[in-house]
Amino acid sequence: MSERSLSVLEHWMKTVVVERGGLREKLDAAARRHGLSAEDVVAETRGLSAHERLAVYTGGYVLRLLECMRADFPALRGFVGDSVFDAFAKAYIITIPPSSHSLYDLGADFPRFLQETKPKDWTVDEGIRAMLDLPPELARIERARAEIMRAPGTEDDPPADEHLSPFAVFGDETIQATPCLRLLEMKYPLVELLRSSDKGERPEPPAPRTTFVAVGRSNYRVHVEEISLWQFAFLKACEHPTSSYSAVRVAALESGRDSGQVLADVAIWLPVAFELGFLFSV
Amino acid sequence: MRQDSTVEVHYGRPRRRGLPNLGLGVGLRNQHFSYLMNHDPEVDWFEIISENFIDNFGYARNVLKHLASIRPVVMHGVSLSIGSTDPLDWDYLKKLKTLAEFVQPAWVSDHLCWTGVQGVNTHDLLPLPLTEESLRHVIERVRQVQDFLERPLVLENPSSYMEFKESTFSEWAFLTELASETGCGLLLDVNNVYVSGYNHGFDAEHYIRSMPHDAVVQIHLAGPTDCGRFLVDTHDQPVPARVWELYRLAQELTGGVSTLLEWDANIPDFPELVAELNKAEAVLRGENLGAPVHKSAVASAVSNPIDFQLSTSNV
Repeated sequence: MSERSLSVLEHWMKTVVVERGGLREKLDAAARRHGLSAEDVVAETRGLSAHERLAVYTGGYVLRLLECMRADFPALRGFVGDSVFDAFAKAYIITIPPSSHSLYDLGADFPRFLQETKPKDWTVDEGIRAMLDLPPELARIERARAEIMRAPGTEDDPPADEHLSPFAVFGDETIQATPCLRLLEMKYPLVELLRSSDKGERPEPPAPRTTFVAVGRSNYRVHVEEISLWQFAFLKACEHPTSSYSAVRVAALESGRDSGQVLADVAIWLPVAFELGFLFSV
Repeated sequence: MRQDSTVEVHYGRPRRRGLPNLGLGVGLRNQHFSYLMNHDPEVDWFEIISENFIDNFGYARNVLKHLASIRPVVMHGVSLSIGSTDPLDWDYLKKLKTLAEFVQPAWVSDHLCWTGVQGVNTHDLLPLPLTEESLRHVIERVRQVQDFLERPLVLENPSSYMEFKESTFSEWAFLTELASETGCGLLLDVNNVYVSGYNHGFDAEHYIRSMPHDAVVQIHLAGPTDCGRFLVDTHDQPVPARVWELYRLAQELTGGVSTLLEWDANIPDFPELVAELNKAEAVLRGENLGAPVHKSAVASAVSNPIDFQLSTSNV
């Protein structure tokens, strides 16, 4: 076996591609770790240096993944601006190199990364402090939407015999949340901001307010809806097969409302929840 | 071009590695979903990027299901990392096999490359040191993958921008040994041969003449970008004249194999894409087509673009 085995050469090149910094810093790190310089490893033909050749890979690595992040978080990018978005996305890529075979997994930890790297509260004034959680929250709702686009859905299920009657809530039909439902408790009302962003508008940032969001899919169309606390609790109660009435009791308890009022509201809302792909009959 | 609506292959040419000549095809891209769900596909077959459809149960899978019912489909992967010294990713391979059971592809392909080590996937097709050790390593892994998938694997020559001093094989000699030892098929990307030939100073024609032609089951066509010091495999341009010439040579030497046009960034409308693909027939009739290689105004471009893997559309 050669002294410069396949394993050593691959580990050296992975360090050069993935390591933080410019090409010089990357090569220094690779030399420290693996004892090899660019000139030791890379053939220099056609008058092109080892550094020029490696730069095609090192530059392409970040730009390729940055394109992916831009595509996954268009509303966040529009909201914070290109330069701020790119700075955070590049920091994310360098800090947490991708490990999945799928580029769709690349942005999965971005909301958490933004939350963990936001400025500390005590370093900023009160006006800015109120906005610090907005970027991670916006990333969270965009990530949920992206996941729902690809999640298993109910499109291949046999069509229901008839539209759900408002009186279904009083029956013993078993219902369940679809596999393509995500429920989010959020620190800001972001659904309207997301819709405005989708239209290419530049919405004003909303003031902080606890909101509840359901993201679902029906007929391959993703629906992002702000919902009430009782609706949030009702859908959460449907994570496992249950009767409408049992879910109503949970929703009433969680929201502090009278169960009769919740029952009346559910009777009206249940067909909508089915239509938006939040629930299905088991 | 095919006129019927069945998936039966009607070219009647010899099968290579047990695999048919599918005719002229294009890569399936998100941007064309709506068109393809409302029009005749106009091409003989489609190639999908496997990773776009693994664990994807949204509209993309619905489009794939429709197209696979009326045209042959080939699964082309970018994350097998057959040359990596990390262990094979069995979770990925299981998902690949599951997708193959759904798609029933004509074959499954990937690249002679590695995408990372130590658990990192750079999502780039990184070049391999072409040594005896690498050859033995890749042969063993190809055998394992073929045994697991229960079908021949087809491997593509990647475009590259650097070679290792350690290399003792030419790429064509490496592929020849690999195909001979494993029975795998080869996907000859004539654009990649052209790009790598320019970047490393080898003769692209010699490369193609030296391939084991009976192992070639598919050809890729694409348009690169001239970035001054390098040609970069950008897949965002029409096929240039020199690549069409290499295509004609490859088809002469192989006797005719499946042809696939890749266009992965600045993707044109589907009819324009088909018009570019159909030039292949004119080229094989002897016409000289294609322009010079597109020159970039800037000195850098991203190789192996991923635009086709991204979609924010809410269909």
